[in-house]
Amino acid sequence: MREGWIAPLRDAGAPGRALDEPAAQALGRDPFEAEPAGDPLAARLDALEGGAPSAAAGWQRLAPLAPRRRPAQLRPGRPCVPTLGEIELPEPRTWIERWLGDSDRRVMAAFNHLVEGEGPYDRFGFSPDVMQTAFPFFRALYRGYFRAKSDGHEHIPANGPAILAANHGGLLPFDAAMTVVDVALHTDPPRLVRSVVDRWAGSLPWVNVFFARMGQVIGTRENCAELLEQGQLLLVFPEGLEGIRKNLSQRYRLQPFHVGFVEHALRRQAPIVPTAIVGGDDQAPILYDAKSIARWLGVPVLPVTPTFPWLGPLGLLPYPVRYRIRYGEPLDYHLRFGAEGADDARLVHYLAKQARGSIQKLLDRSRP
Amino acid sequence: MTSVLVTHADEPLGRRIVKRLFHDERIATIFAIGDGPPPHAFDRFLGEPEPRMLYTRVDLARHRPMADLFHSARFRAAEIDTVIHLPRHGAAAAPTAQRIPGLTEQTAETRLVLQHCLETPGIENVIGVGSAFVYRLPPGNANRLDEHSELDLEPDVLPEIRAWIDCDMIFHGEIHNDRIRVVLLRVPTIVTSGGYIYLNPLLSRASGLCIRSMGFDPICALISDKDVARAVQTAIHTPCSGIYNIAGNEALPLSRLSQWTGRTALPVPGPVLSWLSRGARLLGVGTTSLDAPYRRYGFTLDTRRAERDLDFRPSVRIGLARAGDGSLRLETASL
Repeated sequence: MREGWIAPLRDAGAPGRALDEPAAQALGRDPFEAEPAGDPLAARLDALEGGAPSAAAGWQRLAPLAPRRRPAQLRPGRPCVPTLGEIELPEPRTWIERWLGDSDRRVMAAFNHLVEGEGPYDRFGFSPDVMQTAFPFFRALYRGYFRAKSDGHEHIPANGPAILAANHGGLLPFDAAMTVVDVALHTDPPRLVRSVVDRWAGSLPWVNVFFARMGQVIGTRENCAELLEQGQLLLVFPEGLEGIRKNLSQRYRLQPFHVGFVEHALRRQAPIVPTAIVGGDDQAPILYDAKSIARWLGVPVLPVTPTFPWLGPLGLLPYPVRYRIRYGEPLDYHLRFGAEGADDARLVHYLAKQARGSIQKLLDRSRP
Repeated sequence: MTSVLVTHADEPLGRRIVKRLFHDERIATIFAIGDGPPPHAFDRFLGEPEPRMLYTRVDLARHRPMADLFHSARFRAAEIDTVIHLPRHGAAAAPTAQRIPGLTEQTAETRLVLQHCLETPGIENVIGVGSAFVYRLPPGNANRLDEHSELDLEPDVLPEIRAWIDCDMIFHGEIHNDRIRVVLLRVPTIVTSGGYIYLNPLLSRASGLCIRSMGFDPICALISDKDVARAVQTAIHTPCSGIYNIAGNEALPLSRLSQWTGRTALPVPGPVLSWLSRGARLLGVGTTSLDAPYRRYGFTLDTRRAERDLDFRPSVRIGLARAGDGSLRLETASL
């Protein structure tokens, strides 16, 4: 019988690290360090099966796992994020860390706790490491390029399931990205916004992987239900693709809503937070949508903007407009109608219409 | 007390289940059958003065040996009331392992086993282990799939997956049978101690190369073989029937999973895979699509039904361990 220890997937194998990297380096500490007393996760391996090539070669000890703080009120497996004050930061090592500052670095450190269990990815493919790598870029966009301003953060529930229902605009989903950054920077403990994206995005090479690693999910009924049951914060654009197809004359006028988000909110007892995002429709104003050519090419929209297609793919980049994000008072439909309300199609449609009205009002008030 | 027949007990998953059941005091007798000689792991169980376990070699794909088994005196004496059918689950992840031939045999075996279970009066429970790769995968890096999700019935699906679907549907046909209780456990990629991988169609080949569609890196849900054995044990003792998804807490993208099981994931552009598939079809070499959804899209399983009915929650963690040769490999450990 040989002895061995296993390391969590995320500590020993963060993306970008070589397979043959020494265990001590990968784990960031001495692999033969004494085991902390009572560490339940440093379990001894069972006797290895005979004949396994790796077993035949013998095992070295890897460092035991550090138990993650998990309050009793959360069900096992649910991610638990510490408050910003609880996070201990090491000295900044790179110029990016110095540039970010302590408060933003704390937010980035909190992302490590957003994955349930000990793996480097959650079940939907979200990777805190990719999020941490991409965060400085999106934060620079948020602060420097879009000069985003926001208010109403007190309406975002600090924990538990909730749905941010927002207007959609712009060709590329920077409105979702800015909302993710805004919520992460203005909530304590930081909350990860799981944006619901169209199925079409799931079939795009590289885009699908990037979206998944950043915490976005395909908008299937099962995915949304699972995330809400986990107590996560969903960002939905009930207009769907019609939102990004709006031309110049329709900007900031909400299109008809899909109603699934109301049904989920009722069923999973989640408040709906109306969210107005000003800037999305201005970042790439659509002059004309060539629908027939788009259908022929198999893409949802083929716009003509002041810069696209004249400048090629560069013409799709957003203009440096100012973003303004406003969160309205939560619509607690679930308290009034309960889970059984989700079975009443007329009620669901009515509530979706009400939610649309709330977002439109918020949007009208937010526009300069 | 229950007496259990375990098929393919000589394969790694079968060995794990037999070991688990042997230490279950509610199991009176274990009748293990397999293709090959009894594994060394069973020596201790078979060598006891009053053995609770029997082992015999049977070709499950042929009717006569199966009929002989179910009508044998040993079988009658064992008073089997529960049958655990583990369909062949492909070759081991070790590069030296041979791929098990005859995927269609898997279907024949399942049909024969179920037929004999239905014809044998004493058998009351049938528990099957199936693959979660039977589902049609919608676009996305990882989508939640539950037991009601659609099966992939495309004609150009990989033969291995087609065999799984056939077995699944054979079991499904008897789910509502009044006489016997049928439980089908759909499991994702199984990780065993030592870094072996089972039931992943992309990683079941003996070769160390895994082709994936460029720009896609599907998430693979994982489960430990010990958790599968525990789920089977729970299914034996819980009076419920139907289909259950079971999965562990961990999930890895295909690239990382193949890397940590000593393989190379080669990204090939989707159009190239499509052209290769068409060329192979024209030449009559193959009929399956190389650009199949499971090379692009991943899934995660909704296990709420198993949590509710079977009280199943994964208790084994999948992590990394360093072998003596310096390489990091997947490993499992109890929490």
